[in-house]
Amino acid sequence: MAKPLTGIRIADFTVHNAGPFCTHLLSQLGAQVIKIESAMRPDAFRKPHPVYGRMGPATFDQVASTKLSVRINLKKAEGVALAKRLVAVADVAAESFRPGVMDRLGLGYAALREVKPDIVMLAVSSSGQTGPDSHFAGYAPLFGAWGGLGELTGYPDGPPVEMRHVMDHTVGMNSAVAVMAALHRRRATGQGALVDVSAREVASSLLGEALLLAAAGATPHRIGNDHPRMAPHGVYPALGEDRWIAIAIANDVEWQALGQMIADPAFADPRFATEGGRHAHRAEIDKALAAWTATIEANAAAERLQAAGIAAHASWTTPEIAGDPHLRARGAITTVQEPDGKLRAAVGVPMRLSKGEDIGIHRGTPALGEDEDYVYGELLGLTRGERQALEDGEVIY
Amino acid sequence: MIEHPPLTGLRVVVHASGVAAAYAGRLLSGMGAELVWLEPAEGSALRLEPPFLPGEGQVSALFAYVAAGAESRVCDLTSADGQRAATALLARTDIFIDDTPLAQRAGLGLDEAAIAARHPDLIHVSVLPFGAFGAKADWRGEDIIVQHASGEGNLLPNGLSIELFPERAPVKIHGHFGELQGGIAAALGALSALWARPEVGGQYVDIASQDAMLAVGAFAIQRLGDGSIEHRVERSFRYGGVLPCADGYVELLTLEQRQWEGLVKLLGTPEWALDPALVDGLERSRRGPELNAHIRAWAAVRKVADIVREGQAVGVPLAKYYTPAEVVSDPHERVRGLFAPVDIAGAGVLDMLVSPFQFDGEPLSLRSGPPRLGTAVAEVH
Repeated sequence: MAKPLTGIRIADFTVHNAGPFCTHLLSQLGAQVIKIESAMRPDAFRKPHPVYGRMGPATFDQVASTKLSVRINLKKAEGVALAKRLVAVADVAAESFRPGVMDRLGLGYAALREVKPDIVMLAVSSSGQTGPDSHFAGYAPLFGAWGGLGELTGYPDGPPVEMRHVMDHTVGMNSAVAVMAALHRRRATGQGALVDVSAREVASSLLGEALLLAAAGATPHRIGNDHPRMAPHGVYPALGEDRWIAIAIANDVEWQALGQMIADPAFADPRFATEGGRHAHRAEIDKALAAWTATIEANAAAERLQAAGIAAHASWTTPEIAGDPHLRARGAITTVQEPDGKLRAAVGVPMRLSKGEDIGIHRGTPALGEDEDYVYGELLGLTRGERQALEDGEVIY
Repeated sequence: MIEHPPLTGLRVVVHASGVAAAYAGRLLSGMGAELVWLEPAEGSALRLEPPFLPGEGQVSALFAYVAAGAESRVCDLTSADGQRAATALLARTDIFIDDTPLAQRAGLGLDEAAIAARHPDLIHVSVLPFGAFGAKADWRGEDIIVQHASGEGNLLPNGLSIELFPERAPVKIHGHFGELQGGIAAALGALSALWARPEVGGQYVDIASQDAMLAVGAFAIQRLGDGSIEHRVERSFRYGGVLPCADGYVELLTLEQRQWEGLVKLLGTPEWALDPALVDGLERSRRGPELNAHIRAWAAVRKVADIVREGQAVGVPLAKYYTPAEVVSDPHERVRGLFAPVDIAGAGVLDMLVSPFQFDGEPLSLRSGPPRLGTAVAEVH
């Protein structure tokens, strides 16, 4: 078995980014993910997205890749019944509607347990399935705002910063962890689960130490690129327009190595010999360090600093990432083929497994309903006539 | 509290000096796994990492959070006795999570081959900034390095912040966001490899925080394939975003037509918003700065609580930028049990975030606060 989750089947009702990214990760690890859509409510990637300048359907959608596609019209009772038949042969049902929507459709946890008693149901939402704010609508920047991550990110003298897709996708990756935990419990006990992932709580979980400080009466505030201990620690200008390099000095040894590399007497100042001294005078050090970095190409500077044992990396743009041999060798960046044969970069599942060499994206974005022969024909055993009747009734639609 | 946490019975050992590996263990123990920290005599470096909790004791808030629920066993892996003790411990372990730099592993008996030979059923998870394989496997990386090596670092800030400070260096996401992604990916890799163990036995899981941070930033790579190179200036929302109010900040994001219509109502149906051309979303995008000037002027003289309450009532996605103290005391999270009191040696009993997951409608629980060093040392031998 070259993919660890081979044999797991997921009925995927998720929409937008967070939920679909969860099932996308699991699909790359071998789970069979059946994406449920309809022509009435196609996935966002099948529509124009003018906010991002995309005026037609996406030719490739990262989070839909490696999934199978079927059409079900959940507004019809027969559609709900068909969805239940699918859940009955699945291990996991995943959804990311507002709390209450699946219940109203007749596809809530209780209803799904009736057709599959040990189903693991994942429900991803902005604020969780319970609590006074559970009805709130939200997107990534709102999760980050509610969760505290936005308030703590930004320049100390500026406003908070809105979180973008990384927020959605970390909710998805967290959800994948929780789904796997629930599947392990099912294997051990036979018990299914309702897995409730609140996006704002995921945001909060990424600042647990600051929340603990607040619980102790402290008032943590955003600190930009500073670090509470390390100095220098920041993003410095490199040679060229809008080029930057991130550098972090973790201890005295690294500081001394940096001093040897930079022939600037400022770095021999005895006030900077200790970590505390460097932190107290970090603005002064940052200025001297920036004067050096500004004369060197960012990647060349990073190579030199790393060779001296110092944590550093150029602030990479997307094309640099897509072309990086290290990321390519690891499968973190991979090449996918679009329907017209065009090749493009995509992001792989972030791990390498010694006994899972086939993990990753193995097919692109499915066309709407592309896999109905397999799913409705082979898996559910519907005859051609039964399928046609459901299509005529706009149930498979 | 849940009666049967999902990972009950699972045994995890962490050997960590960094946040990524530590957090992988924390996620698993938060779901019921037994977690042991294998530490040198002086303790993990994370015990000394700020920020520190108020008081004289220099108690690391970071260590307290990422090590909560664990036991601690001291083990000198530079000695033969220590390595034997670690071998005995790992023989009773399902998942071992380690962030020792590659060059030091063989000397401590922690290299992939040695572990695989001694523990064929163990899930051995390596967590490093750039992974254990590839040209940069020996590169060093703190969180700020990970964020910039994976692209998101270059893409922040955006919105109001970059409008105000267009010439400044990019700014990182708070805390250890990039390293935490490595930890989350490690937990996913561990549980996935464990799933396959009945068929294939133990295996080696190689996690790079860079890969994990890149994965959650996947949309930028997708945009590249679509023909666009994202930049922190251009990826700002055309209108909405961070709004300064009379007493704080709110986030406003209207992506759907009905949300725009709700926003017009919230704003009091002003004349400028009734321009028929603004019914078109594309036109609104084109005239974003003009719209935002109106919206910001409206928000600047109003209180956050009023805006959020009235906005949510008419279906406008709005959120207050909560401070950490507001998150901890948030009535919504109190109802959901996101926080629970834990005893932290040297700092007293404090509310700590338990887990971002709930199972079967119940919050999870922590076994304990962070361990004192070597609390279970005798059991190793």
